[in-house]
Amino acid sequence: MDAFLDFARGPLFRVSLAVMLLGLLRILALDIFGAVEAYRKAGDKTLPWRFIVRRTLMWLVPVNRVFTRRPAYSLFSILFHVGLLLVPIFLYAHVELWRGVIGFGWWTLPKEWADWLTISTIVFALALFVGRVGSVASRFISRKQDYLWPLVLVIPFVSGYICANLNVGPATYQISMLVHILSAEVIFILLPFTKLAHCILTPLSQVISNVAWKFPAGTDDDVCTTLNKKGAPV
Amino acid sequence: MNRVQNTKTVLWTLLGLAAAVGVTRFVFGLGVTTNLTDATPWGVWIGFDVMAGVALAGGGFVMTAMFYIFKREQYHDLVKPAVLTAFLGYIAVVGGLLVDLGLPWNIWHMIIYWNPHSPLFEVGWCVMLYSTVLALEFSPVPLEEFSRYARIRSVLMKVRFPLVLVGIMLSTLHQSSLGSLFLIMPQKMHALWYSAIMPVQFFVSAVALGLMMVSLESLASHWLYRRKPDTKRVAGLAKAAIWVLAVYLIVKLGDIALAGEWGMMFDGSWESNLFVTELLLSTIIPIVLFSIPRIRLSAGGQWVGSFLVVFGMIFNRMNVGGLSMLSTTGDSYVPSWMEIAVSLGVVSAAALAFLFAVERFHIWDKRPRHPESDPHTEPVFDYSSRVWLGTPLVAARTKYSLAFILAFALGFAFMPGDEIQSKGVKMIPAQRALGGDTLFVDGNHNSFGTMFNHARHVDSLGSKESCVKCHHMNIPKDKQSACSDCHRNMYATTDVFRHDWHGDHDGANISCYVCHQPEMEKQKSSAMKCRDCHSDLYADSAADTLDTYLASSYVDAMHKQCMACHQLAGAKDSTKATLTLCVTCHTGAQPDYLQVKMIEVLSPHSGENVIMPDITLETAMKQEEQVGR
Repeated sequence: MDAFLDFARGPLFRVSLAVMLLGLLRILALDIFGAVEAYRKAGDKTLPWRFIVRRTLMWLVPVNRVFTRRPAYSLFSILFHVGLLLVPIFLYAHVELWRGVIGFGWWTLPKEWADWLTISTIVFALALFVGRVGSVASRFISRKQDYLWPLVLVIPFVSGYICANLNVGPATYQISMLVHILSAEVIFILLPFTKLAHCILTPLSQVISNVAWKFPAGTDDDVCTTLNKKGAPV
Repeated sequence: MNRVQNTKTVLWTLLGLAAAVGVTRFVFGLGVTTNLTDATPWGVWIGFDVMAGVALAGGGFVMTAMFYIFKREQYHDLVKPAVLTAFLGYIAVVGGLLVDLGLPWNIWHMIIYWNPHSPLFEVGWCVMLYSTVLALEFSPVPLEEFSRYARIRSVLMKVRFPLVLVGIMLSTLHQSSLGSLFLIMPQKMHALWYSAIMPVQFFVSAVALGLMMVSLESLASHWLYRRKPDTKRVAGLAKAAIWVLAVYLIVKLGDIALAGEWGMMFDGSWESNLFVTELLLSTIIPIVLFSIPRIRLSAGGQWVGSFLVVFGMIFNRMNVGGLSMLSTTGDSYVPSWMEIAVSLGVVSAAALAFLFAVERFHIWDKRPRHPESDPHTEPVFDYSSRVWLGTPLVAARTKYSLAFILAFALGFAFMPGDEIQSKGVKMIPAQRALGGDTLFVDGNHNSFGTMFNHARHVDSLGSKESCVKCHHMNIPKDKQSACSDCHRNMYATTDVFRHDWHGDHDGANISCYVCHQPEMEKQKSSAMKCRDCHSDLYADSAADTLDTYLASSYVDAMHKQCMACHQLAGAKDSTKATLTLCVTCHTGAQPDYLQVKMIEVLSPHSGENVIMPDITLETAMKQEEQVGR
């Protein structure tokens, strides 16, 4: 079991970390390349930059649009993301691991906060899952991975909570730890290749869709006319 | 099968592997990535990347000389690729060198701090200047694409001839001075390679290698882009190479004959076999092959011949750079996979840059059709999402970047050590000291040890009560544990706490919360200390109590234990100054690695200058504080 744990903490962790970081950088670079290329080919090179920046910032600040449609779902989603990002990065135990390897650490969450955030992440993930399954409109636009992700993301949080809090025997501890590490690594590796990549692509979504509308020239107006929304901003 | 695309994918993969090693090397240091030692400080990176790299880039000056000086007009088409290869070769050499240098950020020193007596200084300056010259020589080609730089281009074209002259001069200087570099090591290098005319041998072989490298590169790139091989020109180069190789052979064998070392070539030793193989591959077989017109004019013969020369000469540079010294140093150096990965990565990067330039710029008179913009290529789909990957260009970009990051991740995973640590620390278990009243302290049993008068130390430090000054702890169920029972390794720290045993059914079988507080994180720093349960393991009023579960290395433990007292005593009382000397304890032969800074001090007693370790009262007090005594 120790050998498994060491392997998961060592080589496997390094693989997953490298795939995640470089993979995210890769899709960011590929998307920017693609956008630049499309822009170069576009007949009409005017882009509503102010609109794009404003819309991007608006999307980046989640609370702006929370209560316009499906308020509960939006709120759950925000709270889910808070725990999802804060706990892995700022948990004391994780920062200690970094300190051991790279020599420096950063600000950490108090243990109580970390515990409550972990629980909230688990609860809201399940709520999101239920929300997706329960709504006909959501089901209609959902792919397999959309159902799977909330459930997969819960695994490292549950196993991590067991390791950190419950008075379990060493054998259970080691199994939970192994599950914790391996599930996190699977998530890391899949991150750049699935919809989770939105964590780095979100700021580009507006500019890319605007560029995409641009070619060939006049497409944007044509599409709006067809959709009976003539003159609407795109 | 798309040759260009497959080749590029392989090159990107190798580059990814090298990038992983590069990151590790620059973050965690040379010790993690190389098998180099103090006895063998130059390995693959110098032998292949630098020595062979410079020689392989020799095509640049050979071809410019052929065309501009000797007016061989028929080689016009080979000049641009040769200059490009040379330019990229030199960039690769600099890249490889930066990885190899211990303190690469000091590389600019040679510009300011001159040491004109050093061949390395000459090599450094020549590489620097020649790279600049090559950049200027080559830049008209990319500038051609941009009309706004036309004026700069025309200036460069006007100074082309002086640039070519300077380039040839600089190449001649430092191709030979790479040979001069080894003139200072007659004791280290095997006699078959060592020669007073090594600079000449290096220069002549660089000319031959330059010719053959241009041929090989022409053959390879024509094969890659499915063009008709340029057999006629390559045959011309091969004909020239025969003469240069013949001169090289005469110079080399003549020198050996004059030195009376003829017999050494065939004495069957490892070096003689290396030497004969090298000479056969690099010189004799190619001369024979190229002398036969039918072989010289056939593409296959040209492939074999030029490959043999290139391979043989790389072999020669690696022999000179290290293999010929192994029997003297007695150090068996086998490069780690990481060293080889970096070397391959540097070559891959240069090759990718070459292919990029060939596709984008006017290097050949007929630019190759862009292999990734073939209108007849079938659309490529992503395997998982069934999405069209875009135009062939975009699809290729997607594939190359994926190959790169996967190779990077794989390479990064196989970096040594759980916590990446220096491989320089040898794992030698420490052994118990021998003897009774007088102990022989020799942890690694190499019979260079220290006689330690145990009885006298007990007397002088205050009889029985002083025991705990050194014997600070026992291992469980023991009374008189030896130092080596905890300080188990000569140079590495030992984790003396058995975490899993404490939780195991067959061990202590205790729950996590016995040591880790429920409301605290499960960390070493917040867990209970050994002494909280095992108070019996500690001697009363022991000087050292365990806080970290880590026992320092045996050597560190011994020195810390002895030197803390010895230095304090020596610094306080000048009559006991000898207590601080290494030879006071290490009375036998001193190993070379013991390096304490020695200073000359005026002794107040004899009035003469004595050599002492550089230890002042202040540093001694500081050490005393650290030890906690």
